[in-house]
Amino acid sequence: MSKEVELDCMGEACPVPLIKCEKALEGMDVGDVLICQIDHSCAMKNVPEWAREQGHNVEIEEVDDGEWEVIIEKVK
Amino acid sequence: MKKFTDKIKSDPYYKAWLKEAWPYLTGAILLSVFQIVSLAAAGSPWGVSGTLANWGAWLYKLVGGSVDKWYYFASDAAQAKLAAGPLQDPGTLRNLGLIAGALFAVLIASGFKFKKIKTWKQIVAAVLGGLLMGYGARIAFGCNIGALYSGIASLSLSGWVYAAFLFLGAIVGSKLLVKYFM
Repeated sequence: MSKEVELDCMGEACPVPLIKCEKALEGMDVGDVLICQIDHSCAMKNVPEWAREQGHNVEIEEVDDGEWEVIIEKVK
Repeated sequence: MKKFTDKIKSDPYYKAWLKEAWPYLTGAILLSVFQIVSLAAAGSPWGVSGTLANWGAWLYKLVGGSVDKWYYFASDAAQAKLAAGPLQDPGTLRNLGLIAGALFAVLIASGFKFKKIKTWKQIVAAVLGGLLMGYGARIAFGCNIGALYSGIASLSLSGWVYAAFLFLGAIVGSKLLVKYFM
Protein backbone atom coordinates (compact mmCIF):
# COMPACT_ATOMS: atom_id res chain seq x y z
CA MET A 1 0.00 0.00 0.00
CA SER A 2 1.52 3.31 -1.02
CA LYS A 3 1.41 6.14 1.45
CA GLU A 4 0.83 9.88 1.24
CA VAL A 5 3.14 12.30 2.97
CA GLU A 6 2.22 15.95 3.54
CA LEU A 7 5.08 18.40 3.77
CA ASP A 8 4.33 21.85 5.17
CA CYS A 9 6.55 24.41 3.44
CA MET A 10 4.25 27.39 4.05
CA GLY A 11 6.14 30.55 4.87
CA GLU A 12 9.44 29.07 3.71
CA ALA A 13 11.50 30.86 1.08
CA CYS A 14 13.87 29.39 -1.49
CA PRO A 15 15.72 27.14 -1.37
CA VAL A 16 14.23 25.67 1.81
CA PRO A 17 11.14 24.03 0.18
CA LEU A 18 13.30 22.36 -2.48
CA ILE A 19 15.80 20.95 0.05
CA LYS A 20 12.94 19.79 2.29
CA CYS A 21 11.28 18.00 -0.66
CA GLU A 22 14.57 16.35 -1.66
CA LYS A 23 15.05 15.06 1.89
CA ALA A 24 11.45 13.89 2.29
CA LEU A 25 11.40 12.04 -1.01
CA GLU A 26 14.68 10.31 -0.20
CA GLY A 27 13.07 8.48 2.70
CA MET A 28 10.02 7.38 0.70
CA ASP A 29 9.30 4.27 -1.34
CA VAL A 30 8.47 4.01 -5.04
CA GLY A 31 4.77 4.66 -5.53
CA ASP A 32 4.51 6.92 -2.48
CA VAL A 33 3.12 10.41 -2.94
CA LEU A 34 4.57 13.59 -1.50
CA ILE A 35 2.26 16.57 -1.15
CA CYS A 36 4.31 19.70 -0.72
CA GLN A 37 2.41 22.78 0.47
CA ILE A 38 4.03 25.96 -0.82
CA ASP A 39 3.26 29.68 -0.71
CA HIS A 40 6.48 30.92 -2.33
CA SER A 41 6.22 31.48 -6.08
CA CYS A 42 9.91 30.74 -6.81
CA ALA A 43 9.56 27.34 -5.15
CA MET A 44 6.60 26.81 -7.45
CA LYS A 45 9.10 26.88 -10.29
CA ASN A 46 12.10 25.02 -8.89
CA VAL A 47 10.34 22.21 -6.98
CA PRO A 48 8.34 20.87 -9.96
CA GLU A 49 11.35 21.45 -12.24
CA TRP A 50 13.61 19.38 -10.01
CA ALA A 51 11.03 16.59 -9.53
CA ARG A 52 10.36 16.29 -13.29
CA GLU A 53 14.09 16.26 -13.96
CA GLN A 54 14.36 13.32 -11.53
CA GLY A 55 11.69 11.55 -13.58
CA HIS A 56 8.87 11.69 -11.02
CA ASN A 57 5.22 12.37 -11.82
CA VAL A 58 4.32 15.91 -10.86
CA GLU A 59 1.00 17.68 -10.54
CA ILE A 60 0.38 21.20 -9.33
CA GLU A 61 -2.80 22.33 -7.67
CA GLU A 62 -3.63 25.93 -6.86
CA VAL A 63 -5.26 25.74 -3.46
CA ASP A 64 -5.80 29.45 -2.84
CA ASP A 65 -4.37 32.83 -3.90
CA GLY A 66 -0.63 32.35 -3.63
CA GLU A 67 -0.89 28.83 -2.21
CA TRP A 68 -0.11 25.67 -4.07
CA GLU A 69 0.25 21.94 -3.55
CA VAL A 70 2.94 20.23 -5.55
CA ILE A 71 2.02 16.57 -5.73
CA ILE A 72 4.98 14.34 -6.48
CA GLU A 73 4.64 10.61 -7.09
CA LYS A 74 7.93 8.83 -6.61
CA VAL A 75 8.47 6.57 -9.61
CA LYS A 76 12.01 5.32 -9.04
CA MET B 1 -18.66 39.08 -12.49
CA LYS B 2 -17.93 35.55 -11.34
CA LYS B 3 -18.49 34.32 -14.87
CA PHE B 4 -16.17 36.99 -16.23
CA THR B 5 -13.30 36.11 -13.89
CA ASP B 6 -13.78 32.40 -14.56
CA LYS B 7 -13.51 33.15 -18.26
CA ILE B 8 -10.26 35.05 -17.75
CA LYS B 9 -8.82 32.36 -15.48
CA SER B 10 -9.26 29.68 -18.12
CA ASP B 11 -7.96 31.85 -20.96
CA PRO B 12 -4.73 30.34 -22.34
CA TYR B 13 -3.19 33.78 -23.00
CA TYR B 14 -3.90 34.91 -19.44
CA LYS B 15 -2.22 31.75 -18.17
CA ALA B 16 0.84 32.01 -20.38
CA TRP B 17 1.38 35.79 -20.12
CA LEU B 18 0.18 36.80 -16.67
CA LYS B 19 -0.35 33.76 -14.48
CA GLU B 20 2.48 31.33 -14.97
CA ALA B 21 6.17 32.08 -14.57
CA TRP B 22 7.95 33.10 -17.75
CA PRO B 23 10.92 31.04 -18.94
CA TYR B 24 14.32 32.16 -17.61
CA LEU B 25 15.39 33.12 -21.14
CA THR B 26 12.46 35.51 -21.57
CA GLY B 27 13.30 37.12 -18.25
CA ALA B 28 16.97 37.44 -19.17
CA ILE B 29 16.22 39.10 -22.51
CA LEU B 30 13.71 41.54 -20.99
CA LEU B 31 16.09 42.43 -18.16
CA SER B 32 18.84 43.15 -20.68
CA VAL B 33 16.60 45.29 -22.87
CA PHE B 34 15.20 47.31 -19.98
CA GLN B 35 18.58 47.89 -18.31
CA ILE B 36 19.67 49.48 -21.61
CA VAL B 37 16.51 51.62 -21.58
CA SER B 38 17.26 52.55 -17.97
CA LEU B 39 20.88 53.40 -18.78
CA ALA B 40 19.77 55.62 -21.66
CA ALA B 41 17.09 57.36 -19.61
CA ALA B 42 18.98 57.82 -16.34
CA GLY B 43 22.49 58.26 -17.72
CA SER B 44 24.03 55.82 -15.26
CA PRO B 45 23.98 52.00 -15.05
CA TRP B 46 21.23 50.18 -13.20
CA GLY B 47 21.71 49.91 -9.44
CA VAL B 48 19.44 49.21 -6.50
CA SER B 49 21.21 49.33 -3.16
CA GLY B 50 23.01 52.67 -3.66
CA THR B 51 19.58 54.28 -3.74
CA LEU B 52 18.71 52.58 -0.44
CA ALA B 53 21.68 54.37 1.16
CA ASN B 54 20.32 57.67 -0.18
CA TRP B 55 16.88 56.82 1.22
CA GLY B 56 18.59 56.32 4.59
CA ALA B 57 20.27 59.71 4.30
CA TRP B 58 16.98 61.44 3.42
CA LEU B 59 15.20 59.73 6.31
CA TYR B 60 18.02 60.75 8.65
CA LYS B 61 17.70 64.36 7.42
CA LEU B 62 13.96 64.19 7.96
CA VAL B 63 14.46 63.57 11.66
CA GLY B 64 16.99 66.40 11.90
CA GLY B 65 20.24 64.51 11.22
CA SER B 66 23.00 65.57 8.85
CA VAL B 67 25.22 63.40 6.66
CA ASP B 68 27.24 66.34 5.25
CA LYS B 69 30.37 65.23 7.07
CA TRP B 70 30.01 61.51 6.30
CA TYR B 71 32.80 60.18 4.12
CA TYR B 72 30.36 58.14 2.02
CA PHE B 73 28.34 61.24 1.05
CA ALA B 74 31.35 63.61 0.90
CA SER B 75 31.63 63.95 -2.90
CA ASP B 76 30.02 66.92 -4.65
CA ALA B 77 27.96 64.53 -6.79
CA ALA B 78 26.55 62.75 -3.73
CA GLN B 79 25.80 66.07 -2.02
CA ALA B 80 24.08 67.42 -5.16
CA LYS B 81 21.97 64.26 -5.41
CA LEU B 82 20.91 64.49 -1.77
CA ALA B 83 20.16 68.22 -2.11
CA ALA B 84 17.97 67.61 -5.19
CA GLY B 85 15.71 65.25 -3.22
CA PRO B 86 14.17 61.84 -3.94
CA LEU B 87 11.78 63.01 -6.66
CA GLN B 88 14.73 64.11 -8.84
CA ASP B 89 16.54 60.80 -8.35
CA PRO B 90 16.19 58.23 -11.16
CA GLY B 91 17.28 55.46 -8.77
CA THR B 92 14.43 56.25 -6.39
CA LEU B 93 11.85 56.27 -9.18
CA ARG B 94 13.26 53.01 -10.55
CA ASN B 95 13.20 51.28 -7.16
CA LEU B 96 9.62 52.43 -6.56
CA GLY B 97 8.73 51.19 -10.04
CA LEU B 98 10.33 47.85 -9.21
CA ILE B 99 8.20 47.45 -6.09
CA ALA B 100 5.02 48.62 -7.86
CA GLY B 101 5.72 46.33 -10.82
CA ALA B 102 6.31 43.30 -8.61
CA LEU B 103 3.09 44.03 -6.71
CA PHE B 104 1.15 44.46 -9.95
CA ALA B 105 2.52 41.18 -11.35
CA VAL B 106 1.57 39.19 -8.26
CA LEU B 107 -1.87 40.82 -8.00
CA ILE B 108 -2.77 40.19 -11.64
CA ALA B 109 -1.67 36.56 -11.26
CA SER B 110 -3.92 36.43 -8.14
CA GLY B 111 -0.94 35.21 -6.15
CA PHE B 112 -0.89 37.88 -3.43
CA LYS B 113 -0.70 36.59 0.11
CA PHE B 114 0.44 37.81 3.51
CA LYS B 115 2.79 35.11 4.66
CA LYS B 116 3.02 33.98 8.23
CA ILE B 117 6.30 34.15 10.05
CA LYS B 118 6.94 30.56 10.94
CA THR B 119 9.78 30.63 13.42
CA TRP B 120 11.92 33.20 15.24
CA LYS B 121 14.80 31.87 13.16
CA GLN B 122 13.28 33.49 10.08
CA ILE B 123 13.28 36.89 11.80
CA VAL B 124 16.89 36.51 12.92
CA ALA B 125 17.97 35.34 9.47
CA ALA B 126 16.09 38.15 7.69
CA VAL B 127 17.44 40.92 9.94
CA LEU B 128 20.98 39.54 10.00
CA GLY B 129 20.94 38.84 6.26
CA GLY B 130 19.60 42.30 5.49
CA LEU B 131 22.24 44.03 7.62
CA LEU B 132 25.08 41.98 6.13
CA MET B 133 23.85 42.48 2.55
CA GLY B 134 23.35 46.21 3.06
CA TYR B 135 26.73 46.68 4.70
CA GLY B 136 28.49 44.47 2.14
CA ALA B 137 26.85 46.21 -0.79
CA ARG B 138 27.99 49.66 0.36
CA ILE B 139 31.51 48.54 1.29
CA ALA B 140 31.82 46.87 -2.14
CA PHE B 141 30.28 49.92 -3.88
CA GLY B 142 27.50 47.84 -5.33
CA CYS B 143 25.15 44.93 -4.87
CA ASN B 144 24.47 42.07 -7.27
CA ILE B 145 22.81 44.59 -9.58
CA GLY B 146 25.13 47.62 -9.50
CA ALA B 147 28.43 45.77 -9.08
CA LEU B 148 27.69 42.40 -10.68
CA TYR B 149 25.08 42.90 -13.38
CA SER B 150 25.92 46.46 -14.42
CA GLY B 151 29.63 45.78 -13.83
CA ILE B 152 29.68 42.91 -16.32
CA ALA B 153 27.40 44.81 -18.71
CA SER B 154 29.94 47.68 -18.66
CA LEU B 155 32.72 45.21 -19.57
CA SER B 156 34.34 45.79 -16.21
CA LEU B 157 36.64 43.11 -14.74
CA SER B 158 35.33 43.95 -11.26
CA GLY B 159 31.95 42.45 -12.18
CA TRP B 160 33.55 39.08 -12.88
CA VAL B 161 35.61 39.20 -9.68
CA TYR B 162 32.37 39.99 -7.86
CA ALA B 163 30.71 36.97 -9.53
CA ALA B 164 33.48 34.59 -8.41
CA PHE B 165 33.23 35.67 -4.77
CA LEU B 166 29.44 35.80 -4.90
CA PHE B 167 29.58 32.13 -5.88
CA LEU B 168 31.93 31.31 -2.98
CA GLY B 169 29.68 33.22 -0.60
CA ALA B 170 26.63 31.35 -1.89
CA ILE B 171 28.33 28.00 -1.15
CA VAL B 172 29.07 29.06 2.43
CA GLY B 173 25.56 30.51 2.77
CA SER B 174 23.93 27.29 1.54
CA LYS B 175 25.90 25.22 4.03
CA LEU B 176 24.83 27.53 6.87
CA LEU B 177 21.24 27.40 5.63
CA VAL B 178 21.14 23.60 5.63
CA LYS B 179 22.82 23.52 9.05
CA TYR B 180 20.50 25.99 10.79
CA PHE B 181 17.24 25.76 8.82
CA MET B 182 16.73 22.11 7.99
